[in-house]
Amino acid sequence: FVAAGGLVQSCGHIIPESPVLALGSNFTALCILNESCLDFGNIYASQIIWKIKNRVVPKEQYREINRTVSSVTFNDTSSLATPLTCNILADGQFEQNIYGITITVGLPPEKPKNLSCIVHQLSQLTYPMTCTWNPGRHTFLDTQFRLKYRWARESFPDCIPTDVNNSCTIPDIHFFVNLEIWVEAANALGKAESDPLVLDPIDIVKPLSPHNLSVNSEILPTVLKLSWENRISDPVMKLKFNIRYRIAGDTNWMEVPPEDTPSTRTSFSVQGLRPYTEYVFSIRCMKEDGVGYWSDWSEEKSGITTEDKPSKGPPLWRIIDAYHSGAFWTVHLIWKALKPYEANGVILQYELTVRDKSSLTSPLEKFNVTSTNLTLQLPNGTYEVTVIARNRAGASPPSVLLIPASNSKAPVKNLRTLPKYDKLWVGWTAPNSYVLKYVIEWCLVSSRSDCIIEWQTALGDVQGIDLKGIQLISIKPFKCYLITVYPLYADGQGSGQSVKAYLKQDRPSKGPTVQTKKVGKAEAVLTWNHLTVDEQNGFIRNYTILYKTIDGNETVVTVDPSKTEYTLSSLTSDTLYTVRMMASTDNGSRSGPDFTFTTQKFGKGEIEAIVVPVCLAFLLIVLLAVLFCFNKRDLIKKHIWPMVPDPSKSNIAQWSPQVPAKHNFSSKDQMYPEGSFTDVSVVEIEADDKKSFSEQDLKPFDLLKKEKSTSEGHSSGIGGSSCMSSPRQSVSDSDDGETTQNTSSTVQYSTVVLNGYRDQTPVQVFSRSESTQPLLDSEERSEDHTGEGDSTAERQQYFRQNGGQDETNADRLCFERTKQITHANEGDLVGFVQLQISGQSSQPLGLGMEKNTQEAALSNVLQASTEGQTVRPETVEENPLSVDEMPKSYLPQTVRQGGYMPQ
Amino acid sequence: SPAGDSWGIFTFLCAALCNLPALPALNCSEELGTSQSIQQTYDLTRYLEHQLRTLAGTYLNYLGPPFNEPDFNPPRLARAERVPSATVDLDLWRGLTDNARLAANYRAYSRLLCYLRVLDGQVGTAELRHRLAHFCASLQGLVLSIGGVMSSLGYPLPAGPPAPPGAPPASNDFLKKMDDFWLLKELQTWLWRSAKDFNRLKKKVPPAVVTLRLEARGF
Repeated sequence: FVAAGGLVQSCGHIIPESPVLALGSNFTALCILNESCLDFGNIYASQIIWKIKNRVVPKEQYREINRTVSSVTFNDTSSLATPLTCNILADGQFEQNIYGITITVGLPPEKPKNLSCIVHQLSQLTYPMTCTWNPGRHTFLDTQFRLKYRWARESFPDCIPTDVNNSCTIPDIHFFVNLEIWVEAANALGKAESDPLVLDPIDIVKPLSPHNLSVNSEILPTVLKLSWENRISDPVMKLKFNIRYRIAGDTNWMEVPPEDTPSTRTSFSVQGLRPYTEYVFSIRCMKEDGVGYWSDWSEEKSGITTEDKPSKGPPLWRIIDAYHSGAFWTVHLIWKALKPYEANGVILQYELTVRDKSSLTSPLEKFNVTSTNLTLQLPNGTYEVTVIARNRAGASPPSVLLIPASNSKAPVKNLRTLPKYDKLWVGWTAPNSYVLKYVIEWCLVSSRSDCIIEWQTALGDVQGIDLKGIQLISIKPFKCYLITVYPLYADGQGSGQSVKAYLKQDRPSKGPTVQTKKVGKAEAVLTWNHLTVDEQNGFIRNYTILYKTIDGNETVVTVDPSKTEYTLSSLTSDTLYTVRMMASTDNGSRSGPDFTFTTQKFGKGEIEAIVVPVCLAFLLIVLLAVLFCFNKRDLIKKHIWPMVPDPSKSNIAQWSPQVPAKHNFSSKDQMYPEGSFTDVSVVEIEADDKKSFSEQDLKPFDLLKKEKSTSEGHSSGIGGSSCMSSPRQSVSDSDDGETTQNTSSTVQYSTVVLNGYRDQTPVQVFSRSESTQPLLDSEERSEDHTGEGDSTAERQQYFRQNGGQDETNADRLCFERTKQITHANEGDLVGFVQLQISGQSSQPLGLGMEKNTQEAALSNVLQASTEGQTVRPETVEENPLSVDEMPKSYLPQTVRQGGYMPQ
Repeated sequence: SPAGDSWGIFTFLCAALCNLPALPALNCSEELGTSQSIQQTYDLTRYLEHQLRTLAGTYLNYLGPPFNEPDFNPPRLARAERVPSATVDLDLWRGLTDNARLAANYRAYSRLLCYLRVLDGQVGTAELRHRLAHFCASLQGLVLSIGGVMSSLGYPLPAGPPAPPGAPPASNDFLKKMDDFWLLKELQTWLWRSAKDFNRLKKKVPPAVVTLRLEARGF
């Protein structure tokens, strides 16, 4: 039955049907069962179960009203949910749904508050009114808002907001009739009305701003005339205006006093403006009586006032070149362009007059220039210079500068500077007399560029000024500025006082580079250059010298910044020191590179003190020895000469050209015959025979012997060998004759002299030996075309001849000798002295004829001391001649005798 | 000079305070309201005059020549008499009581409004119709304002607007246009005269505003 009944006909229903309930109220629902169902099965109200959604409502809230009606009561609707169903427990176990209702819970609308309206003018004739209000709390229900408005006895259609619930716009509104406006909010739970607003819409208009604003300049340079169009007609609304304006580029607006524009108008002249200045204007309006709203500001329009005369003369100053020559000055007159508000227009030119105050008769000189400087050559004297600036409207009052012959007046006192943020303040104490004004000159001191002078003036009653950078040339930090202040008096000019200043200091950008000027045993003189101005970054307060040995502690010395030299004392001798130098400003310091030096082992003069006396002593000894020899020459002679045999009795008779030719080519063999001759000759100093002389005889002659052989080497060295002709080589030859080859060659040379005095005939032999060399050279050249003009080649050729069979031998020989020379140079001071002595008569490597003659003279002396014959000089003189005049027919002999075969 | 100024202000304040008891306190707000509504009505007539000036120009152009010619001055036809005429002798008009003048204004505008609404329905262009509608609504406001002024001055309102006389519709288009022409012309005259009326009335009803303000200051 239930199924059938449930489908076809409901067994009951709930009242109220789908209620809308106020949140928080109480609510009672009734479930009424149909009689038919009661009959059908024993169903009674007592069996009814109420459910919210699927939750059973507690039985305490039920009430059985009669057999068919059950009620349920909720004290607070907030506990409700949808759906609320009425169910019955059929047969005590099957729960059967009888009916269900939806429940909507919400809130009645609140009274809309804060209703306000505004009429926006959209065009000349369109005035929509927009009203806004506060709709109040959320109702959770569909709530309709209506803006209602009416005249006293006439209503208008409601304004229904779209999409929003707090504003509505009435498209067309009528002015001058009071309108009553209110808002009505309504939903299922109720209706609420705002307080009515009664107003004339004309009182809430926000008009359109005036438009087509134009700005025109007037004849007066301080006036601009504005004109505009109002977009609201006078019968609708009388207007008052606000006019604001600003200088173009400035952001601060100024306003025309509102009292000046209290009524409807379409033009206004703004006065009190600056000449030749661009102004920007904008205007707004509202109802004349101040009821309503201001319009927006109009678009901005600008205009330029006309020009006026410059209000003041340009500040004037001069720079007089320091190096004025003689009676003339080079005066640079400089003046500043006027500021726009002083120039009042475009400055067309500056007119200068220069009057020589010292002579009354001198004419006034006039200059018209467009630049802001003028350079004049003026004779020394006192001048009065005036400058005026001229624009289209007229001329400025003149600026006067007195240039006195000398700045003899009192200067300012106590000049000082103080950095203030990004400005440099310069202060001074005024002199006692009345000062017209001050001129402050300043420039950036830099080693890279000249000091470009900037300047500015200050009134006579101030005692301090902020240095203003001129646009780009602002006062920079870490730069040195030289600031000079001149007081200007009515009758002259005070001398300038200068001060150097930094806006901000930093530590130097580099440290000084220190060097030693002199290093001694215990002290070192350090020297350095001052940092350039650009590197200083501030005032150098001091230098700090830091020095240390490799493993020692660092020693610090602070030096006055004016010094560029410092002597470190108490150093350890022969020690490596590292020194660096630090320059410090107020804001820090920086070190330069490290420099190392080593102190000396000996103090200054220590070596000299030893060496010089030794040398002098040695020299003295030598001199004494020479003197002694000279004095005792007779004695010596006696000792030497007696052993000379009679040449006529010697076996020189057998000395024929054929004899040497028979000799073998070997130098050893060659030596024998000579050795046999020299058996008797003391001057056969060679190693083999040296010991045959009595030592006592020889010793005093050691030196002389060397001399002799030197000269001999010379005279014989006509052949032009760099090796063999060196006197030193000869010396060493005779000193150590251990090498046989040396000996052999020396024998030849030595014998030249010795044999010469013995007999003139054999001289030819040795002349041949010596002088044929160039001839050989030429011969070789003709055959061997390798080394023309090449000295090396020549030398080699010479060695070939000299060395006989062995070329390499000869080369080595030359080399060894060179070595010996170096050895002698290095160590042997005695040798040095000897050289000095011989050097008086002979020059090392000198091959000139004069030298030869001198040497010959010397050797002449020597020969004289040995034998006293005069033959020898002749021979020597003949030798060069024989070289020159050597007959070619003689060559074959040479070849045969010396064995110097051209190869 | 400042001394003179302050003396002037002082005497003025004294005068205001002396006059104060003479003013019926209850009347003050009412006086203010009346004066204000007279001013408002005056402003409205000026506003309507202004509106009509442009509207008439546009409408006469819409009617076409000869109605839009500036010197067009047709004789007033008998049938145009249904439109209330403002062509009463000025002295006669001034001689009327305020009440009579206000009532005449009230009646005239009520009638004119009826004709104007008819006119509104016939106009072809939307723009013109819109402006006519706006003008009508404003004119309706004027009628209400005059009613308001009358009631605030204590005059009875004239009997409700007489039913539009069942004037026969114009027999031809030209005559109809002539009716429209005269309607606008009469409206202009009425508005012009009403402005004068309200201006005079404004002066007659002393504005209590100044006194009240002074009173507020005085205390």
